[in-house]
Amino acid sequence: MWAITIVELKMKLQDKGIWFWTFILPIIFIIGFITIFSGVNEMEPEQLVTQIVPGYIIMFTFFIMISMVITFIKDRDSGMVARVASTPLPLNRFLIGKWLPFLIIVILQIVVLLLFGVLVYDLPLGDPIALTIISLTLAFLSTSWGMAMSLLVNTENMGIALTQVIALGGAMLGGLWMPLEIMPNSMQLIAKFLPQYWALEGFQSILQDGGHVTDIWLTLLILLGFGMVGCVISFFSYPRFLRQSRS
Amino acid sequence: MIEVQSVSKYYGSVQALNDLQFQIEEGSCFGLVGPNGAGKSTFMKILVGVLQRFEGDIQVFNKSVKQNQLAVKNFIGYVPQDICLEELLTAKDNLMYFGRLYGLSGEHLRKRIRTVLEQIGLSDKANQKITEFSGGMKRRLNIGCAILHEPSLIVLDEPTVGIDPQSRHAIFTLIQQLKEMGSTVIYSSHYMEEVEQICNSVGFIDKGKLVEHGTMKHVLNKHRSASIFVSADGIGKEELSSYGDTIEKKTGFAVNCDDPLLTMGKMIEQFRQNGINPERLELSQSRLEDIFFYLTGTQLRDNG
Repeated sequence: MWAITIVELKMKLQDKGIWFWTFILPIIFIIGFITIFSGVNEMEPEQLVTQIVPGYIIMFTFFIMISMVITFIKDRDSGMVARVASTPLPLNRFLIGKWLPFLIIVILQIVVLLLFGVLVYDLPLGDPIALTIISLTLAFLSTSWGMAMSLLVNTENMGIALTQVIALGGAMLGGLWMPLEIMPNSMQLIAKFLPQYWALEGFQSILQDGGHVTDIWLTLLILLGFGMVGCVISFFSYPRFLRQSRS
Repeated sequence: MIEVQSVSKYYGSVQALNDLQFQIEEGSCFGLVGPNGAGKSTFMKILVGVLQRFEGDIQVFNKSVKQNQLAVKNFIGYVPQDICLEELLTAKDNLMYFGRLYGLSGEHLRKRIRTVLEQIGLSDKANQKITEFSGGMKRRLNIGCAILHEPSLIVLDEPTVGIDPQSRHAIFTLIQQLKEMGSTVIYSSHYMEEVEQICNSVGFIDKGKLVEHGTMKHVLNKHRSASIFVSADGIGKEELSSYGDTIEKKTGFAVNCDDPLLTMGKMIEQFRQNGINPERLELSQSRLEDIFFYLTGTQLRDNG
């Protein structure tokens, strides 16, 4: 399992694209939107920062799904998946080995973007334990969905298109781009079925209201539930994915 | 011993393997021969545990691939038809990766990597990235990754497709070494001359069915017949069919008959009478490829 994780991490370090999607683009978005809204909005600066920084962190964690889809489809089409399946490595270790590097990258992404928020915009961090737990839960959620997507889709293009629907559609409907209060009631209702909404609720509770783990337990439970759905889909999709592998 | 017990496999409604039953002796080199799409790769994928849904069973050294899959995988080294290497890594890193997947670690793994790099003739390329490798070098490393853990059974699926003669020779030498070390080898190919050269037993597979199998000597003796090879302008299959079973080859015709010398005499007489000057008229022995065609009616390669 660690062999897969190490090799995957080594290759990801050489992939410039992933650095752009993971760190540079979110920072550009955060700077851009804070600049735009700080001029025209009536929101308090702290309220603006605690809306935009976690909002874009959540949105961009879902973009890891693109890298996961590309990696898994490449391995499937090159025959590497079948080759690894011929080794004594059990299925669950293969999936965990493949998943861990992306989990690490997303955790790193959240840490870097939060630090950026603190250093540049005085973002309040709140309870470090609660913040760590919700960050790990968010990383688990986005990467487990990435894994499910990677094993389900037939082509890379389909995976990239669906990821954009999930990341951008979820961001828009989940209230990551603008506060839900200014949206119609029907939209506010739809948002409650999306993990992005719950993730933002959790982050804002910690960063804005000084909440602790006991205050966000329902949020954590819902996010874990969404994440588990991704894991279950991955587990049951793997045999079909393996059959599609070359060699 | 490897015992294939009534193995069948369907892809939807298409039957890829039809009741395969045969045995492979421990320490032998078994050639699995058939055209593209015959079912060779499907059989190998079942044997190495990549395909898990199939009918029947395979016993590998007294262990069922259905019941003891992880244990069986430990003593199999699988060389797939496609080159499965991480292109951005070096040869050494790739070997390290596969070695760890087979549970090797530490000094033992490093020692095995050095040995395997020597065996495949890539010691001086250990730290080069795969992107800088030729097709033949990649093929050799592909094999290296499968023999790191010193498997008792090595399964090679078309390992010489699209490579240069030098790498082909290196691969044959390596297989010879593995045989001498007592490993059992299953070698799939549609290059019949390769199989004749390196294998001591053979199985013919066509449309998912095993049409003949046994030791190379047994199969050749059972089906080998003398034939006359004819290449001449103005002579076709129809004219030659009166002398015996006639098979069209790339550059002429092979005529199988019981008494080739007598038949050749008759042919010469007929050619003389009709003013035909043959470019080639010679006695030949049917080879493995001819026997396969005789048994199945299927050419192994598109170009015959």
